[in-house]
Amino acid sequence: MAILSLRDVSVTYRSSGKEVHAINNISLDVEENESLGIVGESGSGKTTLIMAVLRLLNTKTTDVTGEALLKGEDIFQMTPERLSEIRWTEMAIVFQKALNALSPVHTVGRFIGDIYRVHKPEATKEEIRSVVEETFELVNLPKRIFKLYPHELSGGMLQRVSIAMSLILDPSLLIMDEATTALDVVTQNQILEEIKRLEEQKGITRIMITHDMSVVASSCKKVAVLYAGSLMESGPTEKVLVEPIHPYTQGLVESFPTFKTDTHEPLKSIPGSLPDLANLPAGCVFAPRCPKASDICFNSKPEMKDYPGNRKAACFFAGGSNNE
Amino acid sequence: MKSYLGKRIVTAVLCVFLALLFNFIIIHAAPGNPIRILAGTDSVNEEMIAELTQKYGLDQPAYIQFFRYVGNLFKGDMGVSIYTGQPVADEIISKLGPTLLLCLTSSIIALILGTLLGIFCARHVGSALDSFLGSISYLFDSTPSFWLGLMLILVFASTLHLFPTAGMFNVRQNAEGFARVVDVLYHLVLPSTALSLTLIPYYFRIARTSVIQVGNEDFITTLRGAGMREDRIYRKYVFRNAILPVVTVFGIQLAYIVSGSAIVEIVFSWPGMGSYMMTAISRRDYPTLMGIYLVISISVAVMMIVVDVVYTYLDPRISRSEGK
Repeated sequence: MAILSLRDVSVTYRSSGKEVHAINNISLDVEENESLGIVGESGSGKTTLIMAVLRLLNTKTTDVTGEALLKGEDIFQMTPERLSEIRWTEMAIVFQKALNALSPVHTVGRFIGDIYRVHKPEATKEEIRSVVEETFELVNLPKRIFKLYPHELSGGMLQRVSIAMSLILDPSLLIMDEATTALDVVTQNQILEEIKRLEEQKGITRIMITHDMSVVASSCKKVAVLYAGSLMESGPTEKVLVEPIHPYTQGLVESFPTFKTDTHEPLKSIPGSLPDLANLPAGCVFAPRCPKASDICFNSKPEMKDYPGNRKAACFFAGGSNNE
Repeated sequence: MKSYLGKRIVTAVLCVFLALLFNFIIIHAAPGNPIRILAGTDSVNEEMIAELTQKYGLDQPAYIQFFRYVGNLFKGDMGVSIYTGQPVADEIISKLGPTLLLCLTSSIIALILGTLLGIFCARHVGSALDSFLGSISYLFDSTPSFWLGLMLILVFASTLHLFPTAGMFNVRQNAEGFARVVDVLYHLVLPSTALSLTLIPYYFRIARTSVIQVGNEDFITTLRGAGMREDRIYRKYVFRNAILPVVTVFGIQLAYIVSGSAIVEIVFSWPGMGSYMMTAISRRDYPTLMGIYLVISISVAVMMIVVDVVYTYLDPRISRSEGK
């Protein structure tokens, strides 16, 4: 059963009379214990999508439509009380900037303890402390940091604190928004390994938002490619990243450096830039930059279609027909 | 902490000394001679002037006058007013009380009201009341305090006869004990209103901006995402972080407490340091002026240290890095 199902989710930002279509009709299933990587360049709507799912967008300036079913229950229809209940106990998030994820004037332990107390109001100080310290151990943090302030910790430690914080109430869905991007590769690898171990140990399903293909390749079973707020392609990571069928994914993969290459060809990049989200093209959003685009691409929107190997892609020329 | 405080005190003493020196130079460089002013313009007796000039040591070279003054200061002697013949220290002490009463009351009222209004507007950004209070704050910010004072006198004292027009107590009644306190408070209403109204906009804007800023921080989103109730988030985390800039402004403003109210004091004939200083300036009463400026610079220096020390308790980022 899918732990999270997005059905036709769209997000529109309204600002000074303009409508910015940040997310357009995204449907996506996240299966239990199948970590999903959502990739896309900056501005593709990755963060907006998860902020919408978490219902953390400002309701005054944003419209969210569609359904987001968490274990069959629509998050968008939940009462505020129900929403508070499932927050952190069912789904938790780790933010990109770990330093900003903690209050600078409160100790790390106090902040995390307070989050724990939201859902366990009857817990005593000693209980909270021992739970927080246990969670620190899970991510290889020393107990002593309970009494420290965020600015006294290193970047790697802070990211571990953020992860510990997200795990404090045993969520079944863990969302990580560029959670390892700011770290050096060694620390990044350590943390990714720890997360994978914890996932197996605790049965957590993870959604990883990133622009780093190597993070997805090394830590996610499935991948979904986002471009200008629309889903381009999704499927098992080893297939999508090795033999992409959507021209955008192909471009994305080609533009990523690898150590194995023995040629000295310069990296390719995708010419052009993201379309104006306030004024999206009528057809495929990628058409203006697509090397394979033809008339049909500019006139009508390609639907997400199934392809062999449990894959999906939204392109008229995906799969067989593009191998000219 | 101790060595930090020690360093700060040494710097402060140095600053006060430099301020003393500059004040001395400026006062003596200004045109006008206290003895001439004292003697008036009718039938000037040159012999008497020469005698008085010698009596007050004004016939000596400036640097000798300065060192003599500093030497006397170390003996606790601030000199004698050229105009009234009273010891400067006694006069200052008698004027300091009313000023502190007026300024502390106004500052605290402004701090509380301005901050509360700022917090209210920050939580209702864009509402009609927010825009209204915002405009009002600019209006009072750009209103000169003497005009505001005169208008208050015109409306509430002269026309409505609700409050006295000037002074600190009713000279004719000469009440004692509790009645005296009530009388002073009654006289305090209009001047402290005038002073608070010009101070409120600062606190209002700083509190509003600061609360909005902190409200958009990632760690607040984290708390929200963790299901913490909005009022609790604000009470425990937003205000605690947003108070820092407000404290800074309050400290800086308190530093100028002795001199900042001069205009309001003159408008309301408040017997404080401000009006005392203005009179002393017009009389070129050197010892009195030097004494007043000394008290002002000491109060600025002391308040700056107090603010910094308070800050180290409110913001762990400062205490830990500079403390120990």
